[in-house]
Amino acid sequence: MTDSNNNKDNVLTCAEFQEQLPQIFAAEGEIGHNPELRGHLATCTNCSSLVRDLEYIAEQARMLLEPTHDPSPDVWSNIQSKLTKDEKPN
Amino acid sequence: MLQGQTMNDTTTKQPGVFRRNPPIAGEAEAILAAQAGDETAFSKLYTLHKRRVYTLCLRMLGNVSEAEDMTQEAFLHLFRKIGSFRGESAFSTWLHRLTVNLVLMHLRKKGLQLVSLEETINPSDEEAPKRDFGSKDQRLTGSVDRVTLERAVAELPPGYRLVFVLHDVEGYEHNEIATMLECSTGNSKSQLHKARLKLRDMLRNPEALGEGAAQ
Repeated sequence: MTDSNNNKDNVLTCAEFQEQLPQIFAAEGEIGHNPELRGHLATCTNCSSLVRDLEYIAEQARMLLEPTHDPSPDVWSNIQSKLTKDEKPN
Repeated sequence: MLQGQTMNDTTTKQPGVFRRNPPIAGEAEAILAAQAGDETAFSKLYTLHKRRVYTLCLRMLGNVSEAEDMTQEAFLHLFRKIGSFRGESAFSTWLHRLTVNLVLMHLRKKGLQLVSLEETINPSDEEAPKRDFGSKDQRLTGSVDRVTLERAVAELPPGYRLVFVLHDVEGYEHNEIATMLECSTGNSKSQLHKARLKLRDMLRNPEALGEGAAQ
């Protein structure tokens, strides 16, 4: 039932732990409140590294909220010309 | 300054909708003038919001040409419909939602129409991230800069990219994403997890990343 790197207090396998990760990440704080999950993380370097990396990626994603790209000037020219066309009577 | 700091800005995690709609000087007057048909006001609104709209399109589509086309469509749509803006939400939130909907409609027209997005956003087995039951401990922490992350996001399969951008970048909740993408919240959570796993794979080997949409 357990991976070779798990001790007797840590009954979750890596596969079982990782199976729960989408739900764990969706419910923030779940690892802290769940002794099984906490126990696995405390003894499994592979899964703790995985969780740390995924948390880091989610954190770094916020860097991308800041808009950093401008459209080319053609975009506004096209908008203007289409708006002008729209205004012309048929 | 378009993205000026406001008293509401904070570094703690909060939904993107609050982070992306700070009040912008001159915006309210420009909206009223644009609703009255003032072309200069259209230009002002474009200048104020072009970067936010274009960057959102680019991140969702991963392609400069399509992102420019969708930016154009978003503003044309905005200017034609601006009379219906009643100020019930922040203008930037309204425009942001309008842009997201247009991009999703565009993606459906491109190849996802008549089929549930839930079924089609799942990438093939080759594209799917590997499970991690024993790889060497190669930590990412502290090693990823914005440009590298942006390149990696641009290379995600479209379904993964959409959910990652909407959730982790833009701050939408899974239930909102599920509504937008017409999928279950469980599917949204699962896609997000796979997107992060895939990004982890790519960010561990950044030299293999293309130039992508970061250019």
